[in-house]
Amino acid sequence: MSEQLTYEQALEKLDEKLKLLEDGDLSLEDALKAVDDARVYLKVCTERLEAARKKIEIRPEPTE
Amino acid sequence: MLKPEEAQRPYTVTELANEIRRELRPLTAMLVKGEVTGMKQGAGGHYNFSIRDGVSRLDAVLFADDARRVTMLPEDGQVFVFRGRVDFFGKTGRLSFITDQVEFDDVGKLRARLEELKRRLEVEGAFAPGRKRRLPFLPQVVALITSPTGAVIHDLQETIWERYPNMGVVVYPVQVQGAAAPMSVSRALRRCNDEALAQVIVVARGGGSFEELYAFNTEIVARAILGSRLPVVTALGHTSDRTVADMVADVEARTPTEAGSRVVPKKADLVALLRERGRRLDREGNQRVARELERLQTKRARLVQILPAMVRVRVDRLAHAAANLARLSPVQQVTRRQEALRERARRLAAAGAARMTRARNALTSRRAQDRLERALVERFSTEQRRLDHLRQQLVAFSPEAVLARGYSITIDAETGRVVRSAAETAVDRKLRIRLATGRLGARVEQVEP
Repeated sequence: MSEQLTYEQALEKLDEKLKLLEDGDLSLEDALKAVDDARVYLKVCTERLEAARKKIEIRPEPTE
Repeated sequence: MLKPEEAQRPYTVTELANEIRRELRPLTAMLVKGEVTGMKQGAGGHYNFSIRDGVSRLDAVLFADDARRVTMLPEDGQVFVFRGRVDFFGKTGRLSFITDQVEFDDVGKLRARLEELKRRLEVEGAFAPGRKRRLPFLPQVVALITSPTGAVIHDLQETIWERYPNMGVVVYPVQVQGAAAPMSVSRALRRCNDEALAQVIVVARGGGSFEELYAFNTEIVARAILGSRLPVVTALGHTSDRTVADMVADVEARTPTEAGSRVVPKKADLVALLRERGRRLDREGNQRVARELERLQTKRARLVQILPAMVRVRVDRLAHAAANLARLSPVQQVTRRQEALRERARRLAAAGAARMTRARNALTSRRAQDRLERALVERFSTEQRRLDHLRQQLVAFSPEAVLARGYSITIDAETGRVVRSAAETAVDRKLRIRLATGRLGARVEQVEP
């Protein structure tokens, strides 16, 4: 499920889970599930941050 | 100046031509205004044309290098102000105006044309905020469309890598001014979209005058930006008016630094943000578990509290039942009756003993009684004597004594009353007469009152 998420989407999901947890209405089971899910999203976010590769490429105009 | 008398030998043509060029040298950085005619492009990329007014005509050339820098290519019939120098070409024997800059003679007219373009785009909705594409929050590669040399590309790269050290950058080098600039920029925009190496495009230039920025006010560049699938950020410097390119771009930045910070987030901020989320997540997770543990503890404590009480109640009830059972059991009943008998025996013994004691006490007091009786007997005798005496006196005064002296007492036999007067009786009534010795029964025969 998290494979296709962008950094922004994963962060949004992470914040949703955090809000649910912080509202404190979850049962213990749901809360633990939410914590697990949130950890996955946190990992996705971190991975996305490191996904870019520093490089510079010059694409000159092709000569006709 | 060449003087005839010094001409000891004739000049060669080349010598004279050089002499002429030397003499023309002061005619440099000249501005000349005129109408363009006979414009044609030569093989080496240079342009030949003539500049004329109503009277005179001047050959002119625009070399390829300069052609790339000029704001726009002059076309026949248009009036421009040309900057350049005058030179003499020995090979052709012609004098030429070497143009290095072309400026609009009538900026007002050009601005009017620009306003007209803006109006058209406005009507199309090209400037509408709703049309603008959203910049990706975190691109992996940023495309830079700019001049490959100079401060702009350097500043852009610096800013991007300073903010995001592992950001990818792809550069599309273009001419940012000169006649070829509009085509160059629009081609690069299309290639960016076709190649899709990046997720966002920055079109940058280090500012400039209205003329220098002319390419970014052309419809061709505006259309290329509008047609871009990838979001476009302009950074065309901060010294001039907004260009049409700025107006149709998705984000308009003033400087390369600003553009860099708009397209790339600060990685340190994101890392900090994620760290904060991680901390909140840990805290929430731990707190939730801790809260649950606490609840369990409370329940356990309550259970521990309640359990002995429950047991106690049951123990009490059992004890009570056992007591009842015991009371009703035959063995206990016999025992209890034995106990009651024993109690009575005890009481009997106690009563007997008390009685004995009392009797003993009575016996003891009887001796005192004897003394009392003796005293009483004496007292009786004395009193007896007194009584006899009194009786003698009493007898002396009694009716018997009176009767003894001859008197009698007449009593009505029926009423028992003493008859004191003859009138108290009647003839034939029975009387009794008491005498000193004996009594008489009589009947009244006569009454004499």
